[in-house]
Amino acid sequence: MAAAGSGAGGGGRSFSFKVVLLGEGCVGKTSLVLRYCENKFNDKHITTLQASFLTKKLNIGGKRVNLAIWDTAGQERFHALGPIYYRDSNGAILVYDVTDEDSFQKVKNWVKELRKMLGNEICLCIVGNKIDLEKERHVSVQEAETYAESVGAKHYHTSAKQNKGIEELFLDLCKRMIETAQVDEKARGNGSGQSGTARRGVQIIDDEPQAQSSGGCCSSG
Amino acid sequence: MSLKSERRGIHVDQSELLCKKGCGYYGNPAWQGFCSKCWREEYHKARQKQIQEDWELAERLQREEEEAYASSHSTQGAQSLTFSKFEEKKTNEKTRKVITVKKFFSASSRTGTKKVLTGKLREIQDVRTPSPSINRQVSIETDRASKEFIEFLKTYQKPGQDIYKQCKIFLEAMHQKRELSIEEQSECAQDFYQNVAEKLQIRWKVSPEKVEKAMDHIEKYVMTRLYKYVFCPETTEDEKKDLVVQKRIRALHWVTPQMLCVPVNEEIPEVSEMVVKAITGIIEMDSKRVPRDKLACITQCSKHIFNAIKITKNEPASADDFLPTFIYIVLKGNPPRLQSNIQYITRFCNPSRLMTGEDGYYFTNLCCAVAFIEKLDAQSLNLSQEDFDRYMSGQTSPRKQEPENWSPDMCLGVKQMYKNLDLLSQLNERQERIVSEAKKLEKDLIDWTDGIAKEVQDIVEKYPLEIKPKNQPLAAIDSENVENDKLPPPLQPQVYAG
Repeated sequence: MAAAGSGAGGGGRSFSFKVVLLGEGCVGKTSLVLRYCENKFNDKHITTLQASFLTKKLNIGGKRVNLAIWDTAGQERFHALGPIYYRDSNGAILVYDVTDEDSFQKVKNWVKELRKMLGNEICLCIVGNKIDLEKERHVSVQEAETYAESVGAKHYHTSAKQNKGIEELFLDLCKRMIETAQVDEKARGNGSGQSGTARRGVQIIDDEPQAQSSGGCCSSG
Repeated sequence: MSLKSERRGIHVDQSELLCKKGCGYYGNPAWQGFCSKCWREEYHKARQKQIQEDWELAERLQREEEEAYASSHSTQGAQSLTFSKFEEKKTNEKTRKVITVKKFFSASSRTGTKKVLTGKLREIQDVRTPSPSINRQVSIETDRASKEFIEFLKTYQKPGQDIYKQCKIFLEAMHQKRELSIEEQSECAQDFYQNVAEKLQIRWKVSPEKVEKAMDHIEKYVMTRLYKYVFCPETTEDEKKDLVVQKRIRALHWVTPQMLCVPVNEEIPEVSEMVVKAITGIIEMDSKRVPRDKLACITQCSKHIFNAIKITKNEPASADDFLPTFIYIVLKGNPPRLQSNIQYITRFCNPSRLMTGEDGYYFTNLCCAVAFIEKLDAQSLNLSQEDFDRYMSGQTSPRKQEPENWSPDMCLGVKQMYKNLDLLSQLNERQERIVSEAKKLEKDLIDWTDGIAKEVQDIVEKYPLEIKPKNQPLAAIDSENVENDKLPPPLQPQVYAG
């Protein structure tokens, strides 16, 4: 069944991915997505009403990808709500400000939490933003990259202001998510013979214990 | 004189006790001041009038209903009428019994077929009176939903028929499963959504866009029917949770936009208008029956919030701006049955919409807002624990301003209220002082009695009471009379001769 499903789609297969955007306030999360989706920075002519939920359609090697980017509130007081946002997401972009050591510490906390809650199913990207302020850098490139490697994440340097590294970041993430999804599908296809659409339903049923565990996290935090 | 007036204060004037009609008998307040006989007459008159009015109303409504149904669908209309009648009879078992008795009487007193018929109509009307508009709407809504659904399926030709058949089977299955736990029912619904979507895609080769559209219609058709049984079911604690959240939000009425860092300036008229619209949107959610319609309400509310932020800040809203504002809106609106609605959407919404779509994002934010409100403490509002406790207990309000900061155009009533609040807090302080001093006095008194008792005890211990032998003091009296010798000799009785 699974083979037939993907075979019928052929090159025209489409994927829907949910990507959460995590990071402290003021690290430039919003600028990053606005630059990616609208190609604008601090612009008065931005047409979108909001930058908290944005979508982007991509075509990668004949595969259509619908990307839904979920912004999260970065204030410390909302930290405990994280699990509600990032459950069932395929990818996470963890943004820090290269001039702000604290924001990098926050990213480390997020990574720990994400790995604990979602395991290795989720593709992690650690992003050092504001590289246009290289002179004021407080987080060393070496340190950040070693850390990213140690937790199985990819590291990127970006500047929303100068439009550097953003396109690459999202493209790379999409490719990795497609890979993960295909591996996942194959494993499922061999196992129970369910097709791509079935995956979603299965996830929903899985959803219940996950929701409970996230609740537990909230209460402890 | 004074005694007389006092007595008058207690007594009621003789004339007030009599029947209002002036028949000479005593009246009774329970009969609105009439005597029993006059009351019966009055009541009967009013009752007759009421019956007459009801009758007219019933006739009028019946006419309207008939017209409405005749214009829409003749056979279906008649069918749904009988169905709704059946439903109402089932739900209003008690009322029906009463009515039947009434009908019995009315049928015997009135003659002529037309009158009996209208009496019957009135019975239907009466049965409906507990919630006439709601019941009627429900039946019309269900009706319209199925009609739209059938119309829609026609555009799908053969797969459409299959969809219809599957929906019927599913509804039948759900009817059988009504006794099961809500989780099992939810799973059943999710399985159904998944199977239908799969079948459309694989067996009928329908394009993904069309599948999505069909799924929306299926959800609408199915959930309009199931809503009654699966929304806030009695087997769950949903209702209890609703009340907890509602109470919690009420207790947090004092939270200001500043505390939540809400980036919305309500002094701008357009912004405050948006805020009102957003609140209306989120409250409206409860009135919808289909999960997707409920989601649409949340989305609408979110759009108004974005507008409000955009007008205030003049830049697109990020989640950092949006979530606090959303929380503020939920706090201000206190939407009814919040938890029930969230649970219902989670259990019975088409999963693809909830997981990746824009609606899903706003729904997630609503869940976050509720979770935040439930766990909210002093720290999350940047308040000290003392301030938080004081606001929670209602001792003071953060909106309260000092008199010197009062703006000249401030409402007089509010000013008076603040003054009174001040007075009350002063009184409270004094009261506390008095109580504490009274306690101190009580303690002093107890200490004092204890002290005295102790002193007495000490003295008693120091000088124990010794009882000496009884005769000793008597002997001593004599022995101590040392000066006895100095006394003159006792007088001797002298005998006088004669």
